[in-house]
Amino acid sequence: MNGKAAAAGMDGDAGSARRRPAVPRLRFEFDPVRTGSPWWMPLAAVFAALAVCAVFIAAGGTDPLAVYKKMLTGAFGTRFGLTETLVKAIPLLLCGIGVSIAYRISFWNIGAEGQFLAGAMAATAVTIYMPDLPAVLALPLMTAAGIAAGGLWGLLTALPRAYFQVNELISSLMLNYIALLLLDYVVFGPWRDPGGLNFPGSPMFTADQSLPAFGSTRLHFGLVFALAAALLYAFTFRHTRWGYELRLIGANPEAARNAGISLNKHLLLVMLASGGLAGLAGMAEVSGVAHRLMYGISPGYGYTAIIVAWIARLHPVGLIVSAFLFGGLIVGGYSVQTLGLPSATSEMLQGAVLFFLIAGAAFGMIRIRRVR
Amino acid sequence: MNEPHAVEMRRICKQFGALVANDNIDFAAKPGEVHALLGENGAGKSTLMSMLSGVYRPTSGEILIRGRSVNIRSPKDALALGIGMVFQQFRLVHTLTAAENIVLGEKSSVWRGASWMRRKTEEIGAVAERFGLKIPVERPVWQLSVGEQQRVEIVKVLYRGADLILLDEPTSVLTPGEADQLFEMLRQLRDAGKTVILTTHKLREVMEIADRISVMRKGRMVGTMNRYETNERELAQLMVGRAPAGVMRPAGRPPGKPLLEAEGLTVEAGKGRTAVRDLSLTVREGEIVGIAGVAGNGQSELAEVLAGLRPWRGGTIRVCGREWKWASVRTAIESGISHVPENRMKSGMAGSLGIVDNLLLKTYRHPERSRFGMLRSRRNRAWARSLVERFDVKAAGLDTPVRQLSGGNQQKLLFAREVDRDPKLMIAVHPTQGLDIGAAESVHRLLLELRAAGRGVLLISEDLDEVMQLSDRMLVMFGGTIVGEMSRENADRERIGLYMAGLQDAPGEEAS
Amino acid sequence: MLWIIPLLVVLAACGSGGSGGSGGSGGNSGGPASTGSPSSGESGGGDSAAAPGEEASGKPSVAFVYIGTPGDGGWTYEHDQGRKYMEEVHGIKATVVENVPESADAERIIEELAQNHDIVITTSFGYMDQTLSVAQRYPDVVFLHCGGYKTADNMTNYFGKNYEASYLTGIAAGKMTKSNIIGYVGAFPIPEVIYNINAFKLGIESVNPDAVVHVVWSNTWYDPTVERQAAISLLDLGADVLLAYQDSPATIQAAAERGALAGGNDSDMTRFAPEAYLTNPTWNWGPYYAQAVQEVMDGTWTNEPVSGSMGDGMVGLAPLGPSIPDDVKELVESAKEQILNGAFDVFKGPLVDQEGTLRVEEGRVLTLEEILEMNWFLKGIEGKIPQ
Repeated sequence: MNGKAAAAGMDGDAGSARRRPAVPRLRFEFDPVRTGSPWWMPLAAVFAALAVCAVFIAAGGTDPLAVYKKMLTGAFGTRFGLTETLVKAIPLLLCGIGVSIAYRISFWNIGAEGQFLAGAMAATAVTIYMPDLPAVLALPLMTAAGIAAGGLWGLLTALPRAYFQVNELISSLMLNYIALLLLDYVVFGPWRDPGGLNFPGSPMFTADQSLPAFGSTRLHFGLVFALAAALLYAFTFRHTRWGYELRLIGANPEAARNAGISLNKHLLLVMLASGGLAGLAGMAEVSGVAHRLMYGISPGYGYTAIIVAWIARLHPVGLIVSAFLFGGLIVGGYSVQTLGLPSATSEMLQGAVLFFLIAGAAFGMIRIRRVR
Repeated sequence: MNEPHAVEMRRICKQFGALVANDNIDFAAKPGEVHALLGENGAGKSTLMSMLSGVYRPTSGEILIRGRSVNIRSPKDALALGIGMVFQQFRLVHTLTAAENIVLGEKSSVWRGASWMRRKTEEIGAVAERFGLKIPVERPVWQLSVGEQQRVEIVKVLYRGADLILLDEPTSVLTPGEADQLFEMLRQLRDAGKTVILTTHKLREVMEIADRISVMRKGRMVGTMNRYETNERELAQLMVGRAPAGVMRPAGRPPGKPLLEAEGLTVEAGKGRTAVRDLSLTVREGEIVGIAGVAGNGQSELAEVLAGLRPWRGGTIRVCGREWKWASVRTAIESGISHVPENRMKSGMAGSLGIVDNLLLKTYRHPERSRFGMLRSRRNRAWARSLVERFDVKAAGLDTPVRQLSGGNQQKLLFAREVDRDPKLMIAVHPTQGLDIGAAESVHRLLLELRAAGRGVLLISEDLDEVMQLSDRMLVMFGGTIVGEMSRENADRERIGLYMAGLQDAPGEEAS
Repeated sequence: MLWIIPLLVVLAACGSGGSGGSGGSGGNSGGPASTGSPSSGESGGGDSAAAPGEEASGKPSVAFVYIGTPGDGGWTYEHDQGRKYMEEVHGIKATVVENVPESADAERIIEELAQNHDIVITTSFGYMDQTLSVAQRYPDVVFLHCGGYKTADNMTNYFGKNYEASYLTGIAAGKMTKSNIIGYVGAFPIPEVIYNINAFKLGIESVNPDAVVHVVWSNTWYDPTVERQAAISLLDLGADVLLAYQDSPATIQAAAERGALAGGNDSDMTRFAPEAYLTNPTWNWGPYYAQAVQEVMDGTWTNEPVSGSMGDGMVGLAPLGPSIPDDVKELVESAKEQILNGAFDVFKGPLVDQEGTLRVEEGRVLTLEEILEMNWFLKGIEGKIPQ
C-alpha cells in the first residue's frame, strides 16, 4: 500500500524502466487543471480555422480575404456592428458567468437555457400582471423577478442533487425542455398578445418596461448588468470568504468537508447564483432587445454560454473576451451572407473556429513529456 | 528438489523516487504450493506482487519463471508467462455477466455471435468445474456477492491459462465464511498443480492456508519458513521486528488535565457494520497516546469521529471537560482539535490550490484571516510566508499548487497549518506514511514539540516502531476496540504483535 | 485570449488590401476603411447605399431576408425563384441573407441591410415587428413585408389569396377521401393558416358534406420531424387524405408510406411521392417583385398593401397528382374557371363556426380585412385555436 501511495505521489516515475530506450519517447498526459496553456494556442486555433475555411471558400469561387474582412467589419468594424456584437455578448456573458460559478465547484449545470427562459418569463409576467407600473418600479421588479425565477429554476436542479444524489446533468437538461414547453404554453396561450392575431408572443413592452438603450443603438442597459456581474464574479472568487469556500470545494470537496464547510448548503447557494445570472440574462433579453416574450426568444444562449465558459476556462476576463468574440462570430457570420455566400458559409466558419479553439484548449491541457 | 521454482525473484529492488519499497528481496515459490507473503501494511508485499504481474518493473534484480529469466514489461507479458493476478479491487464490469467479463478483451475472434458466446460460456463452465469453483456464469456481476465476484476473477485468470495465481489481500473484502470457502478453493487449485501466492497481514489465515510463509518488513524479506516449522508468535515477532535504537525523546513532564475523554464510544460505518465498539480512552495534556493496530480495525472511523466528520451512535466524548452533543467539524476546530488526516492529499489539502489557500483551510473564519466576509489577503500572505519559513517548507512560491510539492513538504505544510492554530489536542493519523526518513523525522520532532508544550497528541499509526518511539502510552486496537494498553516502560513488542493480531483479548492492566 | 482581437484587426487590414483590387460586389460593405464614415446608419439607404456599381445604372439595390434556405423546395424556394425573376427583369443582383430566425436577430440583419439597400424584402410573417421597427428608423428605404398586417409610410405588406387554391384543393380532397376523415397539419394558429383551413373545408363541403377535417398544430414552419409526427397522428386517427401548411414534404412522405393521399404548400411537391400526391396551393412571387422594384424606380410606389390572387397569378394550384382520376380533375378545373372569372367567392354566407354560431349571414361575402383577421374554425373542423 505504502509503495503504491508513494508511486502516485512521485508523479509517474513508476514507468521508468531499467534500460533506457535509445530514442526518447514522448508521452502525452492529460491534466485538466493545468493552467499554463501556451499563449499562442488560441491564436493558432483561429489561424487554423481561418486557413481551413479559406480553402473551402476559395473553392466556391469567392475571395476568402474579402469574406474575412466582411465578417470582421460586420462584427467589429462599424459602430452598428460593434454595438450589435455587444448586444449578443450580454446574454452570453451573463449565462457564461452563471455556468462558470457552478463549474467552479464541479457542478455541471447545463440548464442555463432553462434558467434564462425562466427569467425571461418571470420578467414578462410583471409586464402582464402589472402593466401600468412606471419605469422606476417596473424595471427593478422585472430584474428581481428574472433573477429570482432563474435562481429557483437552478435550485430545482440543485435540490435533488443535494438530497437525493440525482445527476445534475440530466435534471438540468430536462428542466431546459420543461422551461421551453412552459414558454410555448404562455406565448401560445394566456400571455398571447390579444392584438397579435394569434402570433405566439406577448404584447410589446411599453417604454417603461424596456431597459434603456444607449443612444439610437440597440445596445441596452443589460451591458452594465453583465459587466457588473463579471466584476462581482472576479471579486467574489478572489477576495471573499465565500469565494474561498467555493474554490476549496472545487479543488477538493473532501478537504472542504474537513474545513467544516457544508457542501450541500453551498451547492444550493451556487445554483441560486448561477441560475439567477441566467435569469437576469433572460430578463435583459426580453426587456432590452426583444421587448416582448416570444416563441424562440433564445437562440440557444444557455448552450453557447457553456462553450463560452469552457473556452474562457471560467476566468472572468476570459469570459468577457470569449462572450464578445462569440457575439462577433454570430453577428459577423450573418454579414458574410451579404457577399452572396450561403448561410452555410458562416456556419462552417463558426464551427471551424469553435472546433480549433476547443482542440487548442484541450491540447493545452495535455502536457508532453519525455519518457526516460 | 531438482524441480525449478515456479517463480524466483533475485535481489529485487524497487525504488519510487527516494523511497525504497523493496530492498534486495529474494523470494521463491515452489510449484504446487500455497505461499503466503506476510507483512504489515507498507511492508512492500503488494509492490513485490505488482512486479510479478507486470504493473511495475523492478529497479534492479532478476525474475525467473520456471527457471528461465524473464522480463515482465506488462500485465500481458505476465499472462503469457502464466501469471495471473487477482487484485484487491475487482476489475469487473458490473452490467455484464460473469462469462462476458471473462471473455472481455479477448482478441482471438472477430465474429462474436450467439453460438460463439455459448461455446465460450461452456468452456468457462468447464474450467470452473475442473477447479471446483462454482460461479453463476450467466448472471450479471452486480447481482453476485463479493465472494462470487472474487471467484469470477479467479476463474478469469484460470481461463486465461494462469499457472501462477497471485492474490493481493484476498480476504480483506470477505466475510469469515466466504474466506473459509476461498481457502477451500485455493487448496483445490494447489491440488490441481497450480501455484498460489497470496499477500496478507492476518496471522490466523496464514496458519490456516499457507504451505510456506515469507515475512516482509519495511521493504525487506526477513525470513521464509514452512508452516509446520513455525507458530503465530514467531511470525508476529518477525512481522513487527525488533525495536530500533531509540530516537531523541526528552522525558516529558507528568501528564496534566485530561483533554479528551471518550467513554463507551460506538460508531457505525455504514451497511450496519460497527467499526468502533464500546471504546474508551483518555488523552491528557503533555502526553502522546499511540494507537497501534492493523488497518481496518476502526482506527480511521475513530479519528473521523474525533475530527467531527462522522457521527457516533453510543457513548460520550468530552473535550477539555465539555461534552460534545453531535459531530461537527466546526465544533472540533473550535474545541482546539487539530487533525492530520490519514491521506493528506485526499482529504487534508486541495492539491490544485496554492500554499496560502491550503494554510487558510481551518482558520479562514477567524477575524485575523477574514473580516466582513472578505479575506485579508495581504495579511494572510505575510502570515503564510512566515509559516513556510518556520516549518521549512520548500516550495517555488506561495501560489505554487501544493500538489507539486514533495510528500514531505506537503506534510510539513499540513503540520504548519494544524500546529499554528496552537491546538490543545492533535489527532495524527499515519502522519509519516509515504515519507522518507528525513521527512518522517521532522514530523516526529513536531509531535514531540507539541507534547513538550503541554499539548495532547493522539497518534494513530500502523507503524509500530513509530508508535513505540513516540508514545507515552500505547493502546492497541483490534475489532473496533482497545484490546491492550501499556505504558511506555512496559511496552513489549511481542505482546503488541499478539494484540494486533487479535490473539490476546484481555486488556493489559499496567497502570500508566 | 485577448490577442485574437489584434489578430483579427491585422487580418482585416490585410483583407482590405487584398480585396481592393478585385473589387466586385464587396464594394457595398460600409466598412470604415472604404467609406470613412463608420455608421452610415442614421439617414439610411438612399444616397449612401447606392454603391458605385448600381449608381451608374440608376437601379435600386434590393435585399431579401429568408427564413430558411432556397433548398427547402417550399416557401423560401418560391421567394428565391421570385428574386431570380426580378433580377432577370431588371438586370440587377440582389443581396440575400438566409436562415434568419424570427427573433431579435432578425432586427439586426434587417437594419444592417437597410443601411445600404434601397428595398428590403422580408419574407416571413414573424419579421413584421422587426421590419416595422427598422422601417421607422430608415425612412428612405422601402420595406416589403410578406404576410403581415402592419404598415408604415415606407413599409407595406404583400400576400396572396391562397385560400382560393385551398378551396380547390378541398374539392379534390373531398372527392378522394373514403374514410371521410381528412387531416390538416397547421404551422401556427394564425389567421393565414386558419382561413386556409376554412377554405379547404368549404371546398370539401361542396362535394362531400359528411367529411370531417382534423387539425393538428406543429408550431413550426419547417421541422420535418415534428411535421411527420403530426401527420402520423392524423393518419392514426383514420385520415386518408392529408394537407400540410408547412414548408417540408414530410407529411406527403408519411402519407405515402400509409397509402394515403396528401398535399403540401408553396410548391408543386409531386416529385416527393407522385402516387400519393394530391395537389396544393402554390406561389409565384416574381411578377410582384419585379413590379414593386419598377414602381420604386418610377417613384410611383405606395404603401398600399398588396393582395395577389389566382387571377393575377401570384397564387396557383399545383397540377393534380397522377393518381387523381380525371373526373375529379375536371371538377377542380371547372371550379378554378369560376374563380378566375371572378364569379365565385370562397367565403360567402352562411358560415357557421364550431360552436354553431352563425358567423356570416346568408349571402354576405367576407371582406379581405375580415378574412385576414379570421380567428375561428368552421363547423366540421375538429381542432382548437388557442384563445
